[in-house]
Amino acid sequence: MKDLSDTTHGELHAELSDRFDTTAMATETTLLNPRFYTTDFDEMDRIDVTPVREAWDTLLGQMKSDPNKGHFKKTADWDKVDWDGMDPALRVEFIDFLVSSCTAEFSGCVLYKEMKRRGSNADICELFNYMARDEARHAGFINDALREAGVAVNLGFLTKAKKYTYFRPKFIYYATYLSEKIGYARYITIFRHLEANPDQRFHPIFKWFREWCNDEFSHGEAFALLMRTDPKLTTSFVNKLWIRFFLTAVYSTMWVRDHARVEFHKALGVDIDWYDQEVYRKTSAIARQVFPVELDIDHPRWIPLLRRMNDAMLDMERGKKAGGVGGWLKHKTASARAMLAFAGLYLIPVKKTVPPANVRMEPSY
Amino acid sequence: MPLFTKQKEEVPCTVEVSHRFESLHAHVRFDNGAVVHPGDEVLVHGAPVMAAYGEVVTAQRIATITRASALERWWTRLTGDLDFMELCEFSFSDELDNHSPARAGRQGVAA
Repeated sequence: MKDLSDTTHGELHAELSDRFDTTAMATETTLLNPRFYTTDFDEMDRIDVTPVREAWDTLLGQMKSDPNKGHFKKTADWDKVDWDGMDPALRVEFIDFLVSSCTAEFSGCVLYKEMKRRGSNADICELFNYMARDEARHAGFINDALREAGVAVNLGFLTKAKKYTYFRPKFIYYATYLSEKIGYARYITIFRHLEANPDQRFHPIFKWFREWCNDEFSHGEAFALLMRTDPKLTTSFVNKLWIRFFLTAVYSTMWVRDHARVEFHKALGVDIDWYDQEVYRKTSAIARQVFPVELDIDHPRWIPLLRRMNDAMLDMERGKKAGGVGGWLKHKTASARAMLAFAGLYLIPVKKTVPPANVRMEPSY
Repeated sequence: MPLFTKQKEEVPCTVEVSHRFESLHAHVRFDNGAVVHPGDEVLVHGAPVMAAYGEVVTAQRIATITRASALERWWTRLTGDLDFMELCEFSFSDELDNHSPARAGRQGVAA
């Protein structure tokens, strides 16, 4: 497969600017490059939502009614953005934030659409249909914000060779459940912070975050219900270890990524350590609805190990950039340090919780 | 299915790319109902399907599905799960230093 990073920004722009999105006067082109997944579709077809039928029908009814249909429209609230006056370092990080969010929404759409198309279970197909709809709508909204900034998103990736990787269904549940709920916690925490500090809202898109994250919340609810259809998914010894692994991996990756966006958080007036802990706290509180274990984020080793992991990841990056034998060595030793830090985080004793009889929750932050 | 060798098949497909405010999406559907398995590779032939802003473009194309060998399929099933981090918004890219020269290719998945 041709590596897309072979194509430089400039080449791509030259190649595409004539026939693609000329109205946006794009000065940059970003090629979206989602990954493609396949899973055990027969296993997903065998899911039987009968044990949670009542809650399922209520949730799906809500999704069908599409409460956010009118939300993703630009209104008078969409203030003019002064892209030229924006600090260049902030601009880079903010665009990176928008593109990563757009990629995430877009890729969610690809994954859900694929599951809808391949499945034959009516309940499951209906769910994935609504979720794909929401993600495509979010992606379109972010894309519009990017266009204003002169960044054109290129969807030409379909004609590149694509390898299909594999996810076990239960890993799709754990990973997407967590990513939807953590997405909710991230959006609502920023929204509430900016509600209290409107002078730090440097772009109007943040005003849309509240209704937006309610979509993420209800997607997470659907996966919580799916996990309830088979108690083994959250009660067996091995699966509990997997849940713990997913929590550790998702939380620590978020820490590393957020700490790479210094200017972005500075502009929002958000302390990154505080923000990440706050997001973990909300996510953990929500995840009690279905997960029987919770990471102890107040443990004295938690933040020091996250910092060690971040330092190790930065050294890996530096080693890779330096190249040569020295760089290779640096990369390898740093990667061993990152793994050790991860193991340390994984081994912090977890808190055991008992999920409630009724799984459903409403967004309350 | 051969253990080591790969087989190729050509299939007609429909590509839909939507570049509208209401929906940004792009999908491939195999018209003959072909099914993709772990480790298979799909290449849609022809120029990139481009939709200008506000447009939805549907195109009929030919795709080559390169079937993974049995060994590769087994390996993908075993290790694919570890790619799950891409499902998170904040982990799409390897790059931690945002101030390096602009990047063209991005990978990632799911909100």
